[in-house]
Amino acid sequence: MPQALPAVHAVVRQILAYEITQGTPAEPPGQAAVRACEHLRIVFSRFAGVAGFRSLLARALTLAARDVPWLASVEVTAEGALAGFGEGGQAQDPAAAVAGGSALLTQFLGLLHTFVGEALTVRLLADVWPDALFDPPPPGRQENAR
Amino acid sequence: MSHDAKVAIPRLATGVPGLDAVLGGGLPELSFNILAGAPGSGKTTLAHQIVFANATPDRPALYFTVLGEPALKMLRYQQQYQFFDPAKVGPAIRFINLSQVVLEQDLNAVLAAISREVEATNPAYVIVDSFRTLVRKVGATPLAEIELQAFVQRLALHLTSWQATTFLLGEFGETEFHNNPLFTVADGLCWLSQAVERNAIVRKLQVVKLRGQASVPGLHTFRITDAGLQVFPRTLGLTARPVTRSSRRLSIGVPALDAMLGGGIPEGDSVLVAGPSGSGKSILATQFIAEGLRHGEPGIVAVFEEGPAEYAARATSFGLDLDAPVHAGRLQILYLRPLDLSVDEALQEILDAVARVGATRLVIDSLAGFELALAAAFRQDFRESLYRMIGALTGRGVTIVSTVEVAESFTDLPLSPYAISFLTDDILRLRYIELDGALRKILMVVKMRGGNHSKEIREYAITPAGLVLGEGLAAYRGLVTGTPERTPPAKAAGTTARRRATPQE
Repeated sequence: MPQALPAVHAVVRQILAYEITQGTPAEPPGQAAVRACEHLRIVFSRFAGVAGFRSLLARALTLAARDVPWLASVEVTAEGALAGFGEGGQAQDPAAAVAGGSALLTQFLGLLHTFVGEALTVRLLADVWPDALFDPPPPGRQENAR
Repeated sequence: MSHDAKVAIPRLATGVPGLDAVLGGGLPELSFNILAGAPGSGKTTLAHQIVFANATPDRPALYFTVLGEPALKMLRYQQQYQFFDPAKVGPAIRFINLSQVVLEQDLNAVLAAISREVEATNPAYVIVDSFRTLVRKVGATPLAEIELQAFVQRLALHLTSWQATTFLLGEFGETEFHNNPLFTVADGLCWLSQAVERNAIVRKLQVVKLRGQASVPGLHTFRITDAGLQVFPRTLGLTARPVTRSSRRLSIGVPALDAMLGGGIPEGDSVLVAGPSGSGKSILATQFIAEGLRHGEPGIVAVFEEGPAEYAARATSFGLDLDAPVHAGRLQILYLRPLDLSVDEALQEILDAVARVGATRLVIDSLAGFELALAAAFRQDFRESLYRMIGALTGRGVTIVSTVEVAESFTDLPLSPYAISFLTDDILRLRYIELDGALRKILMVVKMRGGNHSKEIREYAITPAGLVLGEGLAAYRGLVTGTPERTPPAKAAGTTARRRATPQE
């Protein structure tokens, strides 16, 4: 699996920054990522089916667990929700919990990028976070689009 | 309101080159259509091409996927086509997966799910891909058929009431068209097929049914490229354009031959130049094109056996400059991709080139090469296709010179290996003869539909200046057999005198 593109990291940072503003100061570290995955689940299940979303998130989790070992205890339910992320994160220090969420989102968006390219990934994310502004792909960078 | 004003059905441009012509002007708006065909026949690509051409944020499309190709993979592959605009996914085209509803619930739930989305989105276009999955779900019992018919009828009613133009995609075979209730309800049925013929894939499209307007019947070739589908209507607009004939004569570039033709080739004629290999057919055709260019008449040369550079280089060796008019846009030498070409594609390329250049002269060099360039499946349709092509082009006022190679015979005078003389207005025959112990060449005008012509048999030579006519060979008889004999002097003199007196009889 190639390393995620800088553009993917940038979008993940934007998503997490946005989701942190939607949470409460008292919530456990890493909850912004859980909330982001839930938003993704709702929109992508409609678009790709529950099974389609679930398989993509499960693959992203497996890839992310290579970099963040505590994610190995997390599971994806039949409905595509994360199970055990909160508990696993709370057992870590805050930075490791945040890193787990970030790694999971990065791998998920990396998979999307691999399958449908940057332009369409950004377009689909705009459906998930219609109020958030993602940087559009620079001209000529639509790698998978002709 | 007028009591006798009939409803006008607006037609949607499909965005698929050639398809609107086949449909009779486009797709009827608000129609309920089926795109049927085997896996890989191009249904999904056709549906995408139509919605990407038409859907907008104000008139969006809902694309329902049902247990078929996963949505992500579909988008991965579809975005390779030039028509795919990522910016439209979401605001203009919304993909919705119905797999879970189909798997876990019944048709009523499926209808409810579709209705809910339609009422929430108010789409102008709805696609269900693949509808075949739903048909399989209900099974094949009589009760299931009624259930399916009721479902389809309610779906069609609902989608039409919500002013959506609908496309149901499915892997249906031709034999299913007759007894499936789905096809009774549908307004339009478009069938895509593909067949492997020897080493070539032949794709065909047929509008089996279309309510409210006259579509073009029959099978139409289509091709899928990076640009998506392109359909090649089998009529080529032939029926839509009246044939207008002028009385003008065009020089063929050989003055003595113009005289034999009664002043040149009648404009808009189709001329066949038949002869054995090496007899000068191609150079005569090139002289015809070059003469037109000298008079400001743009031309097209369709070659099949050699590339444009080689063709132009050979013309140069006879003192005919084709490079300059090519660069000036007054001449195009078309080299049509060999071996897997459909006739309709070839014709469309030629017609497009004629329109692009404004050509009034066309050379097809040669018919044998043309036939060889076609996919094997199209060769059996060659004569019919040739008829349509010649009719379409001469109907536009284009004068055509086609070359055809015939095997030389010393017992008869074949004009063409194809029975195509009925396709041509005029026929020139070149042939070898043995005369005085040498191989020489003769030319004769065999047929001119538009008027009188010389019946002389003239010797000719291929010189650095091209084909040059020599004298008539009235002193010989049996020339067309290839082994003439000298006519007795008295008889020959009389014949010559009579022939010379009436060269234009």
